[in-house]
Amino acid sequence: MLRSIPTVPLAVALQALSLLFSPASAATVTLSIPPSPQIPNPAALPPSTHATLTALGASFVAPLTTDNTFVFRNVTAGSYLGDIHCPTHGFAPLRVDVISATAGDDVSVRVWETFRGNDWENKGEEIRPATVGGALPVKVFGSKVYYTERSSFSVLSILKNPMILMGLVSLALFIGMPKLVANKSLTNINHLSPTVDPEMRAEFEEQSKKNPMNSLMSGPQSGSSPMGNFDVAGFLAGQGSGSKEEPEPSSGNGGKKGSKK
Amino acid sequence: MYLSYQALSLSVLLALPASVRAVFQDEVGHIDYHHELLGVPQRETTFFHRPRAEEKASLLYTLSDLGVLGAVNPSNGAVVWRQLLAGNVTDGGGFLRAAEDQTWLVGAYGSSVSSWDALTGRSAWSLNSNGVVKDVEVMEITERGGKDVLALHQESGATVTRRIHGTDGHVVWEHREVNKDVPLQVSTSLDKVFVVTLHGSLLSYSLKVIVLDTLTGKKLDEIPLGTKGEVQKPEDVMFVGANSAAPIVAWTDNAMTKLKVNVLGLKSKQEFALPADTVDVEIHAPHTIQSSPHFLVHSRTKSGHKADVFHIDLKSNAITKAYELPLLKGGSAFSTSSSGTNVYFTRVTDNEIIVTSSTSHGVLGRWALKSGAEKLAALHGVSEVIKKAGDSYAVRAVVVTDSDDWTQIVNGGLGWTRLEGLSGAVAATWAEFSQSEDLARTLEAEAHSNPLSAYIHRVKRHIDDLQYLPTYLQSIPNRLLSSIVSSENTESTDEVTRDSFGFNKLVILATKRGKLYGLDAGNHGKIVWSKNANETPSGKHWDVKAIHADNAKGFVTVRGSEGQFIIVKADTGKTIEAMPSSLFPPVDGAVVVDSDAGPWLLPIERDGKLADVQVAWAPKQTVVTRTSENEIQGFNYVEKDELASAIPVWSFSPSAGQHIVNIATRPQHDPIASIGRVLGDRTVKYKYLNPNTIVVATVDEKISVLYTYLLDTVSGQVLGSSSYEGVDSNKDITCAVSENWFLCTYYGQYQLQDSQAQNLKGYQVVISDLYESELANDRGPLGDAANFSSLHPVDIPTGPALPSLVSKTFILSGPITSLAVTQTRQGIAARQLLAYMPESHSIIAIPRMLLEPRRPVGRDPTPAELEEGLVKYIPAIELDPRMAVSHARDVLGVRSIIATPAILESTSLVFAYGVDVFGSRVTPSQAFDILGKGFNKVALLPTVVALFVGVLGLGPMVRKKQINMRWQAPM
Repeated sequence: MLRSIPTVPLAVALQALSLLFSPASAATVTLSIPPSPQIPNPAALPPSTHATLTALGASFVAPLTTDNTFVFRNVTAGSYLGDIHCPTHGFAPLRVDVISATAGDDVSVRVWETFRGNDWENKGEEIRPATVGGALPVKVFGSKVYYTERSSFSVLSILKNPMILMGLVSLALFIGMPKLVANKSLTNINHLSPTVDPEMRAEFEEQSKKNPMNSLMSGPQSGSSPMGNFDVAGFLAGQGSGSKEEPEPSSGNGGKKGSKK
Repeated sequence: MYLSYQALSLSVLLALPASVRAVFQDEVGHIDYHHELLGVPQRETTFFHRPRAEEKASLLYTLSDLGVLGAVNPSNGAVVWRQLLAGNVTDGGGFLRAAEDQTWLVGAYGSSVSSWDALTGRSAWSLNSNGVVKDVEVMEITERGGKDVLALHQESGATVTRRIHGTDGHVVWEHREVNKDVPLQVSTSLDKVFVVTLHGSLLSYSLKVIVLDTLTGKKLDEIPLGTKGEVQKPEDVMFVGANSAAPIVAWTDNAMTKLKVNVLGLKSKQEFALPADTVDVEIHAPHTIQSSPHFLVHSRTKSGHKADVFHIDLKSNAITKAYELPLLKGGSAFSTSSSGTNVYFTRVTDNEIIVTSSTSHGVLGRWALKSGAEKLAALHGVSEVIKKAGDSYAVRAVVVTDSDDWTQIVNGGLGWTRLEGLSGAVAATWAEFSQSEDLARTLEAEAHSNPLSAYIHRVKRHIDDLQYLPTYLQSIPNRLLSSIVSSENTESTDEVTRDSFGFNKLVILATKRGKLYGLDAGNHGKIVWSKNANETPSGKHWDVKAIHADNAKGFVTVRGSEGQFIIVKADTGKTIEAMPSSLFPPVDGAVVVDSDAGPWLLPIERDGKLADVQVAWAPKQTVVTRTSENEIQGFNYVEKDELASAIPVWSFSPSAGQHIVNIATRPQHDPIASIGRVLGDRTVKYKYLNPNTIVVATVDEKISVLYTYLLDTVSGQVLGSSSYEGVDSNKDITCAVSENWFLCTYYGQYQLQDSQAQNLKGYQVVISDLYESELANDRGPLGDAANFSSLHPVDIPTGPALPSLVSKTFILSGPITSLAVTQTRQGIAARQLLAYMPESHSIIAIPRMLLEPRRPVGRDPTPAELEEGLVKYIPAIELDPRMAVSHARDVLGVRSIIATPAILESTSLVFAYGVDVFGSRVTPSQAFDILGKGFNKVALLPTVVALFVGVLGLGPMVRKKQINMRWQAPM
C-alpha cells in the first residue's frame, strides 16, 4: 500500500504515516532540543523526558526520541499548551497552534512562547524551525535545583560575617591604636624638628586632642569622652566597673582639662 | 500587562515564605526511602539482551504486569531506565521483543507499537493504528540486511499484518485479511511469514495458518490445521515459535493429555503424549535463527514437573523426542539460553539449579541452591549460560518467585533480589507499634481510678520499670557516642520498636496481587513481614475497598470488593480472622465508624446499601454513602429490637447533567490548634470549623462546567457551592479538605469574566477558605456558643449558619493528583498540600501559605498584610523542584499518598504507593523541635573548649593590664 524507500527522510516518512492512519486536518508537530549552553549534550537527557500538548478535551504525549525530538502525531486543529517535562532541566511553556487552512488536508503549525498566568493571546517570540519543515527548537531555562545547601558550622564562615569583621577591626583599633598613636605622634614631632621645645609639643597634643578621631583612638588614656573612659578589654573580662571608680567631671572642655592635670 | 516569564517565576520564588525549604543533600536516603520498582516480570516479555552489539555486557529487559518497560543491570539489580509503555499503568499483557545485534527493542500494548533504544531508554519510533495488537515479532533476516518488525493487529472483521521498518518505523507492507478469525500470533522463518489464526466460533475453533511473502506481504497459501473444534479457546495454543529455521505451533487438547505440534508451513501435525495429571504446559525454544531447532516441553503436574526435549529435523521436518528430564517433585522454572548453535536449558528447582545442553541429557552443571532460610519457589525465569575454559559452565538465572520477588541466582548462590511484589499497591495505611498503647491505657486507667490506688499503682509500675534500669544504663555510653557522631540514632536494628520521635511506624500495604506487606517506615521501608492474604483466581485482582488499622488492638482490617476480608496483627502479620470471597455480599466500600464496641470498618454493600448490625456495633455518626452514580445519602442507625438498621435521613443529588467526579473527606486526624487567624491589625477572623463537612465535585460534560458543593454530613445541607467554567472533564479532577479550607485541581480553559477579555489555559487549583463571618472579630450568627447543631440552626429565619467563603484560583505549571494534606500531632505546624506530579514523577509539598486565598490582588500588600505573611497575588505558581519531597527521585505511578503525624509536632510522615513505594518525612514549619544534621556536635565541642581556653588565657592578661594601668603614672 505504502511502499517507501529507505532513503526517504524520517520526517517525511512519519508525515506520510500519520496521514495514512489519521483523519484529515491532523498535523504532526515535532519539537526538538538543540544543543545549547544549558544543555551541551541533549543526548544525555534522561529517557523520562517527554512533552505534552493539552487543550480542553485533548491531550497528547510524546516521549523524547533518540534524535532529541518530540513527535506528536495526528494532532487535530486547535490551540494547545505545550509543556516539556524533564527531571533535570526546566523548559519554557509553549503555545502550539495547529491551524487547518480550509477543508483540505493542509495544516500549518505555529509555535510561540507563552506565559503562565497571563492572557493566552499574550504570546512571546514565535519559534520557527531551523530548516523549512523541520523540528521546532524549544527554549531551555536552566537546570533544576532540587536541594538546598546546608549552612554548616565553620570558623571561616563566622569570620566571613561582616559584623564579626567590623567587630574585630574595631577591637584591633581599640587595643592597637593608642600605642601606635602615642609612639607615632612623638616620632613625627621628633622627626620634624629634633630641637622641639616642650611647649610646642604640648600644643601639638592639644591640637590632636581636638581632632575627634584622635580622641576616639586615644582610648583609655584620655578621659575626654565617655568612650575614652571605656576599657574594652576590661569589659570583655567582666571587670569593666573597675575604671568607673574614678569620678569623672565630664562637662565639655572641662573634661579635656581634667585629663591634663 | 506584559510580564516576562522569568520575572514572573522569579517573583513567585521570592514570594515563597522562608519556611519553604528543599531537601538537604545529606538527608537523601536518611529521612526518605524509595523502592524503585517495575512490577512483576511476565514470562513472555523478559529476556537478556545486549544493548550494543560491540559490547559484551547484556542488560535484563522486562515488560512487567503493570506495563512498565524497564532495563535492569544484571550485576546489581539496579534499574537502568524505565518507561510506561502505554503511558499509564496497565493490567498485564503487552509484547516485548529484542532484535539480536540491534540497538532497539520493540514493544506493543493496546493499539500502538513502539520501539525503544535498548541502552538509553529513548523512544525510537511509535506507530498507532486502528485495532488491537495481538502479536509482535522481530524479522531477523530481511533483504536489506537490517531487521524489521512484524505486527499483527485485530481490527473489527479483519486481521491485519504489517511489516514495519526496524529503525525508522514506517510500514513496509500491510496485509489485510477480511474475515472473522481471531488472530493469534505471527511468526517468521527464513523466507516466509506465518500468521496463525483461530477459525470458527468460541469453543469450536480450528487453527489456520496464512502464509505471506516476506518481500511484498502477498498471500501465498492458507493452511488449515487439525479438525474443527480442536481448540476451544485462544489460551489453548501455547506456543508459536519464531525466528527459527523451523518455527512451530503447539497446542494441547482440552484434557491436557496430548501435545500437538506442527512445523509451520506444513500441513501435518505430530502428537505427543503428556504425563498424567498435567495441569500446565510451557514450551521453551531459542529465539535466534542460528540456534539448533530444538525445543523443550515443560509439563507441570499437580505434584511435580518434568521436561521433554524435542529436535526438529530440518530436512524432513520430522519432530523427534531426544531425551527427557526426570519428573521431580515441587515446582520449577525452565529457561533457554543460546550461544551460536548451542542451546542450553536451565532448570531451577526448589533446591538446585541444573544446566543441560539441548543435544544430550548430560548435566553440564549442577549447583545446590543456597537460598537461606526462605524457600525459593521459582515460577519462571531467564538465564544466561556461559561456557568457560575447559568443560565447565557458569550460569546466571533471574527468576520470579512465588513471593513476587525477582531474584538472581549465580551458580546456585543468591545474587540480588528486587522486591517487585511491593509494586501495584492498591491500599495502604499507617499502623502504630502496639507496645506504647499499653502504657497509654495504663495511664488512662490510673487517671480514672481514685488517687490513692492510682498512686500505689504508679509506684508499683515504677518499681517494675526498675528492672530495665541496668540495660538502660548500659546503653547510655553507646547512645551518647552515637548522638555525638550522628545527630540521630539510625542504626538499623532488626527489632521493630517505637522511637521517642515517633518516626518508627508501620505501613501496611496491600497489592493487587493479593499480598500484604508490613513495612517499617522508620527503617527505610524495610519489609517487616509479608504474606499472601488473598487467594484470587488467576487474572482477577484483589480489589481492596478499605484498609483500617485499629491501633488500640494492634489489628489491621482489609476489605475486598467481593465481601472477603482479612484481619491481621499489624506488627507480625499473623492472621486473626479471614473470610474468603463470596460468603458475604460484595461491597462498594467501607468506612470507619465509632460504636459502643469501638471503632470498626463498616462495609457498604452495592449501591450504598447498609446492612443491619448489632446494637453494640451501631455507628454513632451519620454514615454517608454514594447510593448510585449520582446520589449521596446520609444514614442514621436506629435501634430495632436486637439490631440497628440504617434509616436514610438526607440525600443529595446534583442537577441533571452533572455527575459526581470526586468526593473529598477530612483526614481522620485533623487537629486544629487555633480557632481563628490573627490579622495584621490584631483583629481575629474566626475559622469555620465544622468537622461534619465533605466536598463533592460534580461536572457537566456537555458544557464543561465543574461544580463544587460543601455539604454538611449531618443535615445534608449545602453550605456552599461554586461553579467553574471551561473545565476538562477528561483530565483529573481531585479535591482535598482540611481544617477550614478545601481545594480542587483541574484543567481549565476559559475566558476571564472581568473587564479584560483574557483567556486562560492550564492546570489550576482553586482554594477556598471558610470563615464564620466576613468581618474580623465577628463570630457570625453562632456568636460565642460553645456548641452548635447542624439540625437546629440558629440563623434567622431558618437556614443554617453559612460560612463565608474566600477563594482564589492559581495556575500551576503542571498537573497534580493524589492530593493529601500533611498531618501533625497538634496541628500547630503549618500545613502543606502533598500531591503527585504525574508528569514529573515526583511528590511535591506545596505550602498552604502559597495557596492563600487572602493574598491581595492587583496591589502590593500593606505592612499589616505583610506581617501576616500575605504576599501579592500572582496567578501562576511555578511548582519549584525545591518543593519536591521526592527531590530528584523518579517516583513512578503513584496512586495515593498518605500522611500521619509523628510524635514531634514539626514532622509529618509521608508515604506514597502505586508502582513505586516512597516514604519520607516533611517539616512544613521547619524542624523546630529537633536538631537536624546541620547541628554539628563534633564541631560544637571543640568550639566550646576553644572558648573556654580563650577565657582562661585572656583572664590573666586582662588582669595584668588593669593592674598596670593603675600603676601607670598619669601623663
